[in-house]
Amino acid sequence: MPDLEVAESLLAAASDVLETMFFSSVVGEAPVSAEPFASAVGARLEFSGARAGAFAVRLTEDAARTVAANFLAEETDEPSPAQVQEVIGELANMMCGSVLSRLDRGAHFDLGTPVIVDAAALGADPEAVSRAFDIGDGEVAVFLWMDGRP
Amino acid sequence: MAYRVMIVDDSPSMRAFVRRVMDLSGFAVDSCLTAGNGAQGLALLEQQTVDIILTDINMPEMNGEEFLRRLEEHERYRSIPVVVISTDATENRMQRMMQLGARGYIAKPFSPEALRGELERVLGVSNA
Repeated sequence: MPDLEVAESLLAAASDVLETMFFSSVVGEAPVSAEPFASAVGARLEFSGARAGAFAVRLTEDAARTVAANFLAEETDEPSPAQVQEVIGELANMMCGSVLSRLDRGAHFDLGTPVIVDAAALGADPEAVSRAFDIGDGEVAVFLWMDGRP
Repeated sequence: MAYRVMIVDDSPSMRAFVRRVMDLSGFAVDSCLTAGNGAQGLALLEQQTVDIILTDINMPEMNGEEFLRRLEEHERYRSIPVVVISTDATENRMQRMMQLGARGYIAKPFSPEALRGELERVLGVSNA
């Protein structure tokens, strides 16, 4: 499967999940920087089945807080760091499931449990298909590694 | 009519989100029980009955597949309709969960309207 097709599915899945479940809209695309964000939250999970690999999401701190507050419907209080991490894990899980089912709806995949990772380790990676975009309150980058990718 | 609902998911934020989306959709909830996995869900059913169960698949201790099997084995619980809520939108997974006894399946991400539509379809609610 060409990288461009995977990248388009990645962006479509990420946008759909953000808009439908996290009430955040993609307002524009951004280049995936090789440099990690100065202050960011990241989550990663592995998957197996028809294709094996891993998925990760990285958000600037502002974007992570906004996404978590929207998901939790916190109108007055800031979500705690633990709540932000839990929600970013959910976000990674939903985005990964959504992109894999877009890539092959008839296949079987098993998703692992998302783990919070050091977002500083998530920069542009030539082994991954990645996209980054602006959600107004910060930037989100998504990464997909698939075994056997040409 | 308002319904007695049980939400089974290991994520507290996801349980709260599903409850909120049910309210946003206009689905009438009389009471809402929550459980962190299938075993907790079964324990709650020993004390209270519900009209519909919404369950995740991947959960610690007792996952959604085992929870469905246990419900199907139990004479009193097998009539309770179960809707699976999952990130897995593949046909294989949907068919597997339906074979295990689920009556409905909704893949994340979902809109409030989609959730209400699936719950009402499973409950046989007529919008006519």
